[in-house]
Amino acid sequence: MNRVILAVAGGRKTQSIVEDCRSCPEGRRILVLGYTTASQHELLTRIRAAGVHGHQVEVMGWFAFLLQHLVRPYLPLLYEGRRLTGLNFEGDPGRYATGIERFLDTDDRAYMLHLAKLAHDVAAASNGAAIDRLEHIYDEIYIDEVQDLGGWDLEIIQLLLKTKLRITMVGDMRQALLSTNIKDPKNKPYRKEKIFNWFQLMEQRKLLSIEQAPTTYRSSQPIATLSDSIFDPSLGYAPTISASTETHEHAGLFTVREADAIEYAQRHEALCLRHSRAVAKHLDLPFMTFGVAKGRTVDHVLIYPTAKALQFLTGGARLEGQAACALYVGVTRAKHSVAFITDQQLLNTTAWTRAPILPKAPGPS
Amino acid sequence: MITKVVIQGYRKFRSFSVAPDAATNIIVGDNETGKSTLLEAITLALSGRIDGRWANEELNPYWFNAEDVRDYLAAYAKDPQTPAPSIRIELYFDSEDPDVQRMRGVHNSLRLDCPGTKLEVVRNPDYDEEFTAYMADPDRLGVMPTEYFEAMWKDFNDTPLRRRPAALGLSMIDSRTIRSKAGVDYHTREILSSFLEPKERAAISVAHRKSRHEMTTSSLGGLNEKVRDGSEDLHDAPLSLTMDQSARASWEAGVVPQVDNIPFAMAGQGQQASIKVALAMKRRAESARTVLIEEPETHLAYSRLHKLIDRVETLAGKNQQLFVTTHSSFVLNRLGLDKLICLRGDTPARITDLDDGTVAYFKHLSGYDTLRLVLATRLVLVEGPSDEMVFKRGYFDRFNKYPEADGIDVISMNGITFKRALELCTRLDRDVVALQDNDGTDAANIVEELKEYLSVNRKMFVGDPALGKTLEPQLVKANGVDHMRTVLGLRPQDNPDTWMPNHKTEGALRILESEQTVVMPDYVKQAVEHFA
Repeated sequence: MNRVILAVAGGRKTQSIVEDCRSCPEGRRILVLGYTTASQHELLTRIRAAGVHGHQVEVMGWFAFLLQHLVRPYLPLLYEGRRLTGLNFEGDPGRYATGIERFLDTDDRAYMLHLAKLAHDVAAASNGAAIDRLEHIYDEIYIDEVQDLGGWDLEIIQLLLKTKLRITMVGDMRQALLSTNIKDPKNKPYRKEKIFNWFQLMEQRKLLSIEQAPTTYRSSQPIATLSDSIFDPSLGYAPTISASTETHEHAGLFTVREADAIEYAQRHEALCLRHSRAVAKHLDLPFMTFGVAKGRTVDHVLIYPTAKALQFLTGGARLEGQAACALYVGVTRAKHSVAFITDQQLLNTTAWTRAPILPKAPGPS
Repeated sequence: MITKVVIQGYRKFRSFSVAPDAATNIIVGDNETGKSTLLEAITLALSGRIDGRWANEELNPYWFNAEDVRDYLAAYAKDPQTPAPSIRIELYFDSEDPDVQRMRGVHNSLRLDCPGTKLEVVRNPDYDEEFTAYMADPDRLGVMPTEYFEAMWKDFNDTPLRRRPAALGLSMIDSRTIRSKAGVDYHTREILSSFLEPKERAAISVAHRKSRHEMTTSSLGGLNEKVRDGSEDLHDAPLSLTMDQSARASWEAGVVPQVDNIPFAMAGQGQQASIKVALAMKRRAESARTVLIEEPETHLAYSRLHKLIDRVETLAGKNQQLFVTTHSSFVLNRLGLDKLICLRGDTPARITDLDDGTVAYFKHLSGYDTLRLVLATRLVLVEGPSDEMVFKRGYFDRFNKYPEADGIDVISMNGITFKRALELCTRLDRDVVALQDNDGTDAANIVEELKEYLSVNRKMFVGDPALGKTLEPQLVKANGVDHMRTVLGLRPQDNPDTWMPNHKTEGALRILESEQTVVMPDYVKQAVEHFA
């Protein structure tokens, strides 16, 4: 059965793929697809370190997969006489380009912009051969960081879900800050974190089952609970459970006055985060944006909240969409403590002072 | 398994295609019809190499089809934009193996969706200017400048190949190769090294290096002391000797197979051929292995060949696909006539629907010269040597030359039935005239029985039973007893009617050489007239 595993931040998503690869029976062939180069590299290193050899498990990028296994073999069936020569990363054929000019540049390199659509069209032109070929080469396909896919990528996934291949997708919608193709108008209602709705649709069509893996091995329970509260419970995410056993003398949720921010950051070596460069310009702190911080793990974070985030943290309206995802990514970087820079009093947090009182049992009451 | 070989513009093959048998293929043909070229082409497309060297390094103007080049040069004179000749060799595979399926796609000339490998030789666009300049030179040679071409080895997924895919095995056994100085030729070395897993190979390599090092420290120690003494006078740094540790001194170069304690290179060539076949059989399993054997009969006496063919037979099938070239009817009969690929120009003939009984029949009569029958373009089938000589005489009288001069091969059946021989000729679509004695049966009945094999260009002529059961009485009838006695140079008391059946070949020879006129029986006349 095809599965999509919805993990939480710090849920050891990559580790679960590595372990599946290691325990897979001899002779089964697995393809693992990563989205970013960094994640492919990490997947490959960890799979090889686990003693799994290339003959059985192959790691590839999403674009390389589309090119090598869908476009390349059958391109002449869609465009007679054409051969793929590579990938055009940055080019844009323009919105009025039609036919082959929309997909291939003058050197027959495929535009990354429309690659998924091209792959889908070639697969269709091959009359099932492209899928049959894949079924002969692999038994299973893993897709890591699936929340980063969208647009025509989803059509490709749907194609894969209908094959004999066993598809396992791993991801966390709440961290959907990247997207393979922002300009792709296909599947617009399912962009970014809303890909969850698409998975639910696929589940209704009996093409996959959604599994939630709500355990975090990184953050403490108070941080995990805070991260859950960012999203509307009606979205259907299971509550996160912390399996972290580490303790730290500075742990919990804090508010830090603007005047104390630099002192706090230095004393606790906290990672300073903000939504974008436009925010908190007046503070002389080494800020990083949420998007850039994705994938990192630190002991402590210090967040400069946006006005909307502040509203939410003081008991106001919930955040939605990308704003929610961004805050979620920020909060879940931390193992032990999360602090917000504000002069207001936030719910369920401890006000930090220069001579801090260390709370014995921090967390929401 | 290779299901199709397509060759365009390579040597003899201008536009060639053959669908080989899954297990065994026996490639026959006259000299210069391209038997070796076919094996060479398969090797090129399967390994990207020829005799162990990359196709690109071996590009040769004579790889291009001569007619292609001639047509190109003629067309170039009118239009310099005419595309230059190119070479394309494609192997189409049928395999469910995942590693073979990776090579699947439609990048082939037949637009078929299947796995495959191909070797293409095309103009290298980097040398456009040089090529144009070469062609514009009035003093240029009439050959293609291969320097401005490149060989590309790819699979049907349009992905360049850098080494032979592990799933596709290849063994080349060429009994004709002369012993190389290294003791073992490239192909045999390939076969040997394929026995080993990479880990085993590395272990041997390490042990070999170690033993060479030990030799340096122990045995060479004494020598080195001597060398060192006094070397200081000649040179600033001390001099010493060590064993060669370079790649040239790899263990592979120092290892040779031996048989019964005799090194391979010292064994007879016949034995070498047997050993190579034996080695090729015992390799580790690959999903598809192509075994190419060039003229196994070379250097082998009959009994040894017999054994060798036994081995080859067990080799075929189950993941092994054999291609054997041969000039030997024995090899052909033994491996099965139905496995025949007869080369003739660009259209090879394969016998796919030969009766199983006929295949078995020729397997048992493995000494029969089937190949002559297969290779002849126009042939006359006669019962025995006496019929052969009489027919030749009749032909000579009519056309003033012997049938051989017209490319007509007169073949004695020597006990092979007309039915089997005609079936074979039918499957090969050969022009045949068959001459048969009636042995007392009505001619119409004999012809009726063989009707399915007869046509406009396959005729059967049978003597009228009223004029005699066999050739001899027919001849006497046609010439009269007295004249026949003269032709045969018999004594007056000898009766040709009784002498001839007892001296069939002697009589026929006398007829062939007689200066007297000889009247041919009607059915022989008709047979001769068929060639008018």
